[in-house]
Amino acid sequence: MTLTQSPAGESEQQARPEPPSKWPKTFSMLAMLGLVLLAIWVADAPWMRVFEIPEKAQQYGGLMADGVLRNPTVEPYDSYWSRSFELMVESLQIAWIGTAIGALFSFPIAFFAASNIAPAPVTFVARQFLNIIRAIPEIILAIAVMLPIFGLGPLAGALAIGVHSIGTLGKLTSEAIEGVAPGPGEAVRATGGSQLETIRWAVIPQVLPETVAFWLYRFEVNIRASAILGVLGAGGIGSLLSQLFRHREWERIGIALVVIIVVTIIVDQMSASVRRRIIHGGGTHSATAEAIVE
Amino acid sequence: MTATTESPPVPATDARPPRPRPNWLLWTGIAVAVLITLWAGRAIEFTLEPLIYDIDRGRPVLRGFLDPDWDFLQRVIDPFLETFAIAIIASLVGCSIALVMALLASRVSAPNHATYWITKQTLSVIRSLPDVAYGMLFVAAVGTGALAGILALIFFNLGIAAKLTSETVDAIDPGPVEAADAVGAGVIERARVAIVPQVLPNYISYCLYVFELNIRASVIIGLVGGGGIGSVISVELARFNYDNLSAVIFALFVVVFVLDWFSRTMRRRLV
Repeated sequence: MTLTQSPAGESEQQARPEPPSKWPKTFSMLAMLGLVLLAIWVADAPWMRVFEIPEKAQQYGGLMADGVLRNPTVEPYDSYWSRSFELMVESLQIAWIGTAIGALFSFPIAFFAASNIAPAPVTFVARQFLNIIRAIPEIILAIAVMLPIFGLGPLAGALAIGVHSIGTLGKLTSEAIEGVAPGPGEAVRATGGSQLETIRWAVIPQVLPETVAFWLYRFEVNIRASAILGVLGAGGIGSLLSQLFRHREWERIGIALVVIIVVTIIVDQMSASVRRRIIHGGGTHSATAEAIVE
Repeated sequence: MTATTESPPVPATDARPPRPRPNWLLWTGIAVAVLITLWAGRAIEFTLEPLIYDIDRGRPVLRGFLDPDWDFLQRVIDPFLETFAIAIIASLVGCSIALVMALLASRVSAPNHATYWITKQTLSVIRSLPDVAYGMLFVAAVGTGALAGILALIFFNLGIAAKLTSETVDAIDPGPVEAADAVGAGVIERARVAIVPQVLPNYISYCLYVFELNIRASVIIGLVGGGGIGSVISVELARFNYDNLSAVIFALFVVVFVLDWFSRTMRRRLV
């Protein structure tokens, strides 16, 4: 501090600037502390049981590790592994179909929700529509609508995920559409292009990479969501997990968890590398366009 | 674009620019996506027929939903407060651990490569399990109730907040970090004066986001025995009390909506 001040001349600058008041910070910290204490009091949980966890973790972890480390080609264990794997694949299928439904419907709706494409009243209606379906969690959709109509099974889960994804993907895509550079659109209109042609040749090429990246990202999120819906009876690995936990079959739980972790990480990584390729690499057109704009 | 205007004039005026070659990678990608969709659709027996033939099956449920029993709401105030308490504690603990892990999981701030690699792998394992799996694990370990819910959500929050924060740390301005290194700051001092102040607004915004997610996740956590509003939903669902369920879900919908709006306004002010 003194070093930077000295060349400016110390005589004129005898008084240091007042340090900014610490009151707002202190106050918000105290408010947070109060809130947390209140929360601890309201939750009224048996906190002491936290200390039982190490012992339990050792006991159950041991059982799980036992199941995982057994020779996976021997009688019951090979079927445990293959059953977990089959149901995990079913979860992936549910997530994929859900994402596909979301992508298919959200893409056109997003254009109606973008203020630079559609007139204001249409935008308002489309946005409210998206807001409402986004606010309904998948699980509520599944309980209230899909499971009663479509019955227990993966289809109900896929549809619940699909409808919710329309909301989230529609919002993200419409924001991407609103962020396009206006230049290409003006160019298409200058050559006499209609609104539809403007969308086809100026807007879609600009938003497509980002939109596909959103779809893939949503797929990753939906994998977790499909596991959750399985607990309600919507198929996939979640249904297996709830069944295994009900009977406390720790060996099989260990196997199922390992399958979930490994498959999810592999799929996540594949999806992330495709996303990176779409956004950064490959597309020479978008790369040059970005270079010109920036 | 600028390159073409500067280049010498094209000799033959009628020569059109060559058509761009078809992008094989793109078409392969599309074909693969379509094939996966067909395969997955067949596997889960995709059909919309029930919408026409079995819509009646949903009618009693929907009727219950369209006629909510509002009196029931008085009985769910306490579970709602419990859900908020669970979310507050889980967000606070989860996000605090997440900040430390995020600093260890970024190349910019990790003390060495081994720490970086191990933390990053740990985080991706934590993130790969869905919240419901944590819910079931902790219900098995500490019994049903709020404690299991809190512990499950801590892990859920840790995965999300640490990933987002470590990506923000990756993208910080290296200047202050270099300055801190130049004056001989240790790892902790460097993180405190050069890294945390840069990521703080984003970090707080992620914490708010995580808190919001926790209110939504509380439904599923409660369904597997983690306390809060989810346990109420679980009980009413098992008893087929769709009118009560409808009132609870409507209340939850309002809470999520208000919270979403509040956290978005706060986040916009922060970042």
